[in-house]
Amino acid sequence: MTFLALTGFQAALLALITAGAIVALYFLKLRHRRMVVASSLLWARVLDERQAQSLWEKLRRVISIAAAVLIGLLIAMAVGRPEMHWLTGGGERTLLVLDTSPSMLARTRDGSTRWQHAVTAALRTVNASAPSSEFRVADTTGRVDAAPTTDRREIREAIERMKPIAGTARFPESDSETAHVRFITDGVVPLPMPKGAVRESVFEEAENVAITAFEIRSTATSALAYEAYLEIHNYGKQSRETRLTIAGAGGQHIDRVMDLKPGGEFGEPFDLSKFEGGGIRATIQAGGDSFSLDDIAYAYLPVERRAKTLLVTNGSPYLEALLDLDSLVDVTVIKPAQYQPDPAFDAYVFDGFAPQNAPPRPTLLIGEVPNTNWLPQTKGTIARPHFASWAEDHPVMRYVSLHDVLLEKAARIENTNFKVLAEADDHSPLILASDELQRPKLILLAFSLKSSDFPLHSGFPLFVDNALAWLSREPLALRRQPGLVTVPLAQAEIKALNGDVLKSHSRGDTTSFDAPEPGLYVATHEDSRQYLAVNLASPEYSNLNNTVSQKDRPAAVTAGWLEQELWFYMIAAAALFLAIEWFTYHRGITV
Amino acid sequence: MAAATVSLFDDEFLKKLEYLSILSKRLFAGQLKAERRAKRRGTGLEFADYRQYVAGDDFRHLDWKAYLRLNRLILRLFEEEEDLPIYIFVDASQSMSYGDPSKFDYARRVAAALCYIGLSNLDRVNVIAYSNRVKGELQPQRGKGKIFRVFKFLEEMTTGGETNARESFKTYCTETRRRGLAVVISDFFDTSGFQTGLDILRHFKHDIFILNVASHEEVDPALKGELVLVDSENNVSREVTVTPSLLASYKTEYNRFCTEIESYCSKYQLGYVRTVTDFPFEELVLKVFRQGRFLK
Repeated sequence: MTFLALTGFQAALLALITAGAIVALYFLKLRHRRMVVASSLLWARVLDERQAQSLWEKLRRVISIAAAVLIGLLIAMAVGRPEMHWLTGGGERTLLVLDTSPSMLARTRDGSTRWQHAVTAALRTVNASAPSSEFRVADTTGRVDAAPTTDRREIREAIERMKPIAGTARFPESDSETAHVRFITDGVVPLPMPKGAVRESVFEEAENVAITAFEIRSTATSALAYEAYLEIHNYGKQSRETRLTIAGAGGQHIDRVMDLKPGGEFGEPFDLSKFEGGGIRATIQAGGDSFSLDDIAYAYLPVERRAKTLLVTNGSPYLEALLDLDSLVDVTVIKPAQYQPDPAFDAYVFDGFAPQNAPPRPTLLIGEVPNTNWLPQTKGTIARPHFASWAEDHPVMRYVSLHDVLLEKAARIENTNFKVLAEADDHSPLILASDELQRPKLILLAFSLKSSDFPLHSGFPLFVDNALAWLSREPLALRRQPGLVTVPLAQAEIKALNGDVLKSHSRGDTTSFDAPEPGLYVATHEDSRQYLAVNLASPEYSNLNNTVSQKDRPAAVTAGWLEQELWFYMIAAAALFLAIEWFTYHRGITV
Repeated sequence: MAAATVSLFDDEFLKKLEYLSILSKRLFAGQLKAERRAKRRGTGLEFADYRQYVAGDDFRHLDWKAYLRLNRLILRLFEEEEDLPIYIFVDASQSMSYGDPSKFDYARRVAAALCYIGLSNLDRVNVIAYSNRVKGELQPQRGKGKIFRVFKFLEEMTTGGETNARESFKTYCTETRRRGLAVVISDFFDTSGFQTGLDILRHFKHDIFILNVASHEEVDPALKGELVLVDSENNVSREVTVTPSLLASYKTEYNRFCTEIESYCSKYQLGYVRTVTDFPFEELVLKVFRQGRFLK
């Protein structure tokens, strides 16, 4: 037996003092009360007879002293936090890893979750170990990786800090001092483990119908029209009648009932032309579903409104006519000399003009690239450049063809950190865009409309339409998974759909916040605003029965026989002996 | 004690006592004329027997009718009525002071009552206090007028010492030859055995009546826990853990002790009454003693 709180000498001394004190106290206890009786004649007869009859009478004092000493020693030794390695194992380091993937939130038959089973098993593992055993507890998302410690309270707190969350899963690295590695998981998100690691399973089959995809996207016909695309999977073993509801901010909704066979899926775009802009929520209801995190998904439908646009030009009939005809644009035309920065406009279009300072709003700058500090530097011109390639996947260039566009000349721009949307044969950028969230968006054409036939091509109105949509329309929501959500906006204030401001922290150009459940959030910083649709929407997490832990040893979710340190049982034993001693003393069985 | 005794013996109770007399199973020779039938033939009123006249006899008792019929002088004998010697032995050992009320007080009150009855019947009443020796003795008293002497004697009686009835009775009986009714009022906690003292009295042919006085604390002791029991007579102490089972054993032993005394009395035809001090005194005297044919 070793002691964690005492040296061997101290423990021996404590035992000696305790035993001595108890024996001394015992004899003090034997100072009986004097009671005068008329005659001890009959008492003597009774006592002599009893003493002659009973061996117990001879032994009970010795037994009483022994019991008292035992109680005292149990209490005294308990103070020293003893441990017996043969009983509880040695003081080795164990890396205890808990799987914190979202699938751990699946409910089990007993009404709790896989995660609760995992926590129970982890705590039991810790409690059943030797007091000197070190534990390093860590999760698989890297959010909790506590330093190795023997302090059970710290270990428990670290375990209680963990929670299942979506994120990149990784198995914590074990160091050379780690003797055991135990991984408590449901095996849905398989992770490579170090050699010798033991995987304990909390897996239990579960029924689940899940939304695996939900997003708002532009229709093929217009950059300004949107549709919702939604996918549902039945990962259970039984057919499920599933009720789908897509509800909009203005009360519009789409309801659909479908019967999903085991392993069946449903995927379909939904027309949202009748929906008002704002948050869109998709929910499914299926009987017997044991995982709720994927039964709801959010998206953001940009609000449709006329964009106030300021066109600064010395005269451009194509542009003026085009913008004037656009029903979603409210255009104001001024001469360059009249230009004053005005944040009341949603977007600026500079035609053959560029102000010295950056405009306060997103800007489409055509044909004039003076050397100012807010624009990329130019180095001369390019004669008769030819569009060699363009970024067809960029929203601005969507459905825009530049095949036959002829350019007389273009400015030679030194690309810095602008995104090149179209370039010439010699890789000189001809169309550039900047979409940094820290400053207004900018689209830059290195050529003027007068020196090209671009306005005469069918791609021109599409380009202008795309450009204005990209510049001034609300952006679609960024898609994220529950957990630590990062938005590329510095010092942003994060609000939930109900208006509650969430706690967040900023690092560099990003802001992070905790979103444990699906939801729609908005991040704002000064004039910048970005919606975030946080949805699980992951077949990897939703397929609850796709496990590698089918044959793993079940985690110890039932109570072991030794779940506390030895001192606890010693105190309990002392209390028990004390109760017995008290009982027998008051009945005169012991003295 | 006397004052207390007198006050407790109210007039009505004393009047009731006057109607009582102490019964003796045997006849004893008295010294003085009294109301009690004696062993000797004498001048009483009750006819006893006949015998041949011899010179010197009182010819007033000749049966002349028999002489006429038988031509012989036959003398009529009459029973003599004399007083009865009553010896009341009161245990005055230390153990008698035990209890509330104490056994000694109770014993003295019983003794006082018996004395009053005896004196009322012109019996010769002796009161002896004893422990391991005769501690005090009231010389024979006769006549109701002597009751205050008895009270005074009882009042001055004190407890102390161990019980040794054998030595006490032996001493007393060897000095007092006259046999009579011996009433022993005691708790009989005698280390040499209660029988030894009573054997002495039997040896001297006394008619014996026993009153075993016990206190409630002895019959049903309210003891518990770790105790040192100290004997009030000899201060011998003994450590004991009083448990319910030990108490039960004690009670069994006490009952056995009482049964032993009762069996002894039954064997030798001795009068026996057992009482506890919380038993009403008047009831003991007026009812229990009469039912036990000790008083009539």
